[in-house]
Amino acid sequence: MSSKDPIVQMRRVCKRFGKTKALDEVDLQIYRGRIIGLLGANGAGKSTLLRHIIGLYLPDEGHCTTFGCEAGKLGPMQLARIGYVHQEGELLDWMMVKQLVRYVSTYYPNWNNELEERYIDDFEISTKARVGSLSPGQRQRLAILLAIGFEPELLILDEPASTLDPIARAQFLDLLLKIIQDENRAIIISSHILSDVEKVIDHAVIMKEGRILVDCSFDQLQERFSRVRISSLSGELPAELPFKNVVKCQRSNGEAILTVKDYSQEQIEQAAQSLDCQIEIQPLSLEEIYKIVVS
Amino acid sequence: MNILTANLRHLYQRRGLWLFYAFLGLLVLLSIMAALGNPRAGKGQFIWFIAIAFLIGFITVALAIDVLTKPFSYCLPGHRKTVRRLIFWIGIVISFLGSLPFLAYPGLLSWEPFLMLCSAFCANLIFYWLGVGLAFINRNAAAAIGYLCFAGFAGIFFDLHITSESAIVLCPVAVICVGLLTSIVAWFRLGYEGLARRYCDVLWVSLFDAWNRDKLQRYRKTRAAIKWDKKLKTHPNPWVERFFLGRMQKYEFFRTGRYIWGGLYTTFGVAISQWKGALSGVFVALPVVCFLGYMGPGAVVVFYIVPVSMVAYVRLPVYSSMLVWGGRNERFFTVMILAATTSVLITALVTIIAAFSLPLAAIMPDITLRGGTFTFHAIYIKLCFVPLLMIPIVFTIQLFFFKKPYFVIVTIMLLFMLLFTGGSLLKALSTMIDPIYLVVGLLVLSWIIFVAVLYYICKRRCLV
Repeated sequence: MSSKDPIVQMRRVCKRFGKTKALDEVDLQIYRGRIIGLLGANGAGKSTLLRHIIGLYLPDEGHCTTFGCEAGKLGPMQLARIGYVHQEGELLDWMMVKQLVRYVSTYYPNWNNELEERYIDDFEISTKARVGSLSPGQRQRLAILLAIGFEPELLILDEPASTLDPIARAQFLDLLLKIIQDENRAIIISSHILSDVEKVIDHAVIMKEGRILVDCSFDQLQERFSRVRISSLSGELPAELPFKNVVKCQRSNGEAILTVKDYSQEQIEQAAQSLDCQIEIQPLSLEEIYKIVVS
Repeated sequence: MNILTANLRHLYQRRGLWLFYAFLGLLVLLSIMAALGNPRAGKGQFIWFIAIAFLIGFITVALAIDVLTKPFSYCLPGHRKTVRRLIFWIGIVISFLGSLPFLAYPGLLSWEPFLMLCSAFCANLIFYWLGVGLAFINRNAAAAIGYLCFAGFAGIFFDLHITSESAIVLCPVAVICVGLLTSIVAWFRLGYEGLARRYCDVLWVSLFDAWNRDKLQRYRKTRAAIKWDKKLKTHPNPWVERFFLGRMQKYEFFRTGRYIWGGLYTTFGVAISQWKGALSGVFVALPVVCFLGYMGPGAVVVFYIVPVSMVAYVRLPVYSSMLVWGGRNERFFTVMILAATTSVLITALVTIIAAFSLPLAAIMPDITLRGGTFTFHAIYIKLCFVPLLMIPIVFTIQLFFFKKPYFVIVTIMLLFMLLFTGGSLLKALSTMIDPIYLVVGLLVLSWIIFVAVLYYICKRRCLV
């Protein structure tokens, strides 16, 4: 498997839970050197998709391969290259933090003690505390430590920051950026805090009802959607504006704010030339793009 | 709809209650048959209605607490005062209905039925309030039902039903006074301003939460965290940690042996850390052995009930989302080793308990209790293979119904029924086949089934 091959490859993966179709013909490829944002509403199938990647779920149809191996047959050699933080936060509650860290580190030959110590200091984890009595935020920090301590090539983060406070979230995002400096790695992050996610991701996957609606680089996604403020220089704007893919339009005295899709900056400027107006083009935030895509 | 009506609607809206009503209906029918079929004074036949009042008091409050613990209910206007009205209304109606059969009590003179009615009504209330009180202090209503059944049998053994009935008949004034007094106390206690605050958002396992796996886990975790912080500060013991991590390190990285030792550590780490507690368990085991010895042949339940109850809630690490590098193969081998180790340890434990009874049989005296003589018998130790047979079956059931604990409990109960009713079949089989071959055959069969199911789940099923 060369470094240019995708780490994860999903082909027409379907998964049903009773009558619910959790994944519906999902095709996805994940390459090294990327931070992928996996976005979607509750029940969109994000966690199901992630669990297929590590082989905890088996597809009803289709294929999922991770590190070139069928995900359901992943062995120790492949799993030791994957770090996983999950939203349930399942840990060994009866251990003390330091004992749990020692226990997990015993599994990995490449456990980074220096990283562990730095992380414990930075994230203020109390090593003498009992895991079962940690607050949800502390628990989440510990889960992240256990997932990154062995410097995995593929880091899967399923709602990792939902219980972290703003400062810890910022530290966490910095940490992700440091991890991804090694181009041999990939990070998949599923989160509802889009304002955070957009600071770090370079690829976006948006899901709805088990289907992937968008799978492209974040730059491409941002280029697809723009907000155009058109201000008339002489009285009212015409009733019909020369834009076709208008997602949203707000008008007021001689001014219109349009959200348009699939227009380049040149195309917008050309379209606006026919009007006697001033235009201002703004990129949309991930949250705004997400709302447009899923609605 | 007023708030009281909304609360009363719980009584038919919760589907789980229909099962309880079926059970209650059966109990009422049996009580009527016991009391009115051949009414005899002083035999405790009339007390069953009062036992029903106790049960209803318990259930009513379990339902009320279910609502009280929901944070939103605290803010509902007028809701906090409804609890008292709901409990009192149900109590009065049930106590009145429960007192009516006492009108048929044999040998009552002209004016006595009215006094008897009042006395029975108040006795019903007393038992109702006992049920209410128990439900208020018990955080795990589902588990309490089990204890209540046990307490019921113990009560019958010690003739409490006859004593209670005699009190109602012979001391009606005292019973009425106590009934009224308890009702007044209950009225003020239930009207306490801070009642709703005390229960608001408290983790409480209500009657139907026995099937709610997530809630039970949260409950256990919360309770355990308190216990760990207070009592088990040094657990797992450093030497236990050193031992298991040392064993893990003896295997190369990514070898199944390392994963298996990790699994053994996470399963038995706490238990081994508490070895001093296990030793003190010997002192608990001794009276248990004595009790079992005097039970006679029934003592063999130690081979059936103890192992099953010990493993019923063991969580096999097949289904786990905590990812270390154990793949499906590693999980399969680890769980197999864990199941085998658990079976051997529990079998050894019950065999030791049974073995205790052998020397005791020579020295324990006969006990005469309530006209009967109880002789100590050694527990039939030849049945010590039973845990090895039962544990894989229970594990198999757990593997199948991992997400539905309700089915685990029901299936285990069915298994017991099958065992107790199928005893004659086993005896018939043992006349045809050499018992040793039969035992070995059953053992092999149960383990083959377990391993096959485990293999299927590890290879073909979702593991979360």
